[in-house]
Amino acid sequence: MGYLLDPGNWEWVVTDNNLRFLLEAFLINLEIAVIAMALALALGLVLALGAIARPAPIRLAAKAWVDVFRNVPLILLILYLALSQPQSVREFWSDNAPGFLPDALRSEFILAGIGGLVLYNSAVLAEVFRAGILSLARGQREAAAALGLSYLQQMRHVVLPQGLRRMVPATVSQLITLNKDTTLVSIIAIQEVVRSGRVLAGTAGNPFTGSEVAAPILHVMIFVGLLFVIANYALSRLSRRLETRESRRIATVRSAPRVSEAPPA
Amino acid sequence: MEVLTDNLDDFASGLWVTTRLVGAAFLVAVVLGTLVAALRVSESRPLRTLGGLYVETFRNVPLLVLLFITFPGLRRGGVDINAWTAGIVALGLYTSAYVAEVLRSGVAAVSRGQREAGLSLGFGQVAVLRRIVLPQAFRTVIGPLGSITIAMIKNSAIVGASIVALDDVLKEARVVNSATFQTTEAFFWAAVCYLLLTLTATAAFRGLEARYAIRR
Repeated sequence: MGYLLDPGNWEWVVTDNNLRFLLEAFLINLEIAVIAMALALALGLVLALGAIARPAPIRLAAKAWVDVFRNVPLILLILYLALSQPQSVREFWSDNAPGFLPDALRSEFILAGIGGLVLYNSAVLAEVFRAGILSLARGQREAAAALGLSYLQQMRHVVLPQGLRRMVPATVSQLITLNKDTTLVSIIAIQEVVRSGRVLAGTAGNPFTGSEVAAPILHVMIFVGLLFVIANYALSRLSRRLETRESRRIATVRSAPRVSEAPPA
Repeated sequence: MEVLTDNLDDFASGLWVTTRLVGAAFLVAVVLGTLVAALRVSESRPLRTLGGLYVETFRNVPLLVLLFITFPGLRRGGVDINAWTAGIVALGLYTSAYVAEVLRSGVAAVSRGQREAGLSLGFGQVAVLRRIVLPQAFRTVIGPLGSITIAMIKNSAIVGASIVALDDVLKEARVVNSATFQTTEAFFWAAVCYLLLTLTATAAFRGLEARYAIRR
């Protein structure tokens, strides 16, 4: 306990550029999370629609795809993609990545990192979406079909607006998991917050900021952990806020007088 | 196929390491998770807050960061912790937060009347929880506990990827890969090893669920 609380072991936080170095690296994690989430949501929706599609080949293919990527450990997927991607792909990205991206996102391994995150999370989200869509009463779709709406119109105007709303909690909790999982790309040498923390805790202090003060790895990692706890706690609060607003909305809709209860004219 | 048959020993020992790691971490997670769930449903407000703090902390921190805290972190601080203990503690702590949340919702699903009836029969707070509420809660949470276990099996790969001294399935796959350069085969068979474990867990929890199903 003395070691943990010793102010000398926390001195690195306020020394030189250490704090900024770590926070900028944390921003990389958030950027990776946002990019991967956007792609995973889109791919997940396509996979979910595929898994409930009428034609058997599409349905079976989508289900098999989802089952494979949902059941593989994410770190195994990321490592495999990093180790197996051909030299040409790596060089293509590090040579042609747009210049406005931060260095970490121009790394030759970033495609493998983001690719792994997207493949895994889209499979998980596809299951969430599928459950949300199937939880809607069949009658909704049948009614839409009876009104003459095409498949795409049924999905776009009737099924998805109702189904997607029910999936907010599960989707947000997956977003939190994804945010935590961005640290896994440190294993394939992408300079994000865990890797930067390890640099900071190197025996010589921080070569990037030229700091002479050594940072104990225990303290650095507790600090990094705190960053994630704060960010993810904020996310889960946001989700709860959305949920209560949603249930209130549904409650108002329900309490509106129904036709059968309207007073006789 | 040759990659598997030539390196069967490596994959088997990796599978055994992963199995022991997951088994021990599961015990830690269930014991800690039950204690924290008890805090979360207790009558005392400070205890409830403490439980909430625990859950929010360990559910929101990346497992990789926890591993760096328990292994190099504690060692540098003079705690003589070995790779096994560090891996089990980190994976167990991380998973315990999820177990606690599931148990709490299970307890909430047991109707209040059960608890009130127990109290009016003269049972104490702890006895009501232990003899009346928890046995019923455990039944409703077998399914969710199964999903947590499967997630834990997959998460265990992070332990081998970060703690150099633990040779789990993923670690053995990387060894085989660097020896044979058959990346796809090596990782494919590693994925199969994990699938074996998750399928076994799924079957076990399905069995438990069928056995303890509440018939009304």
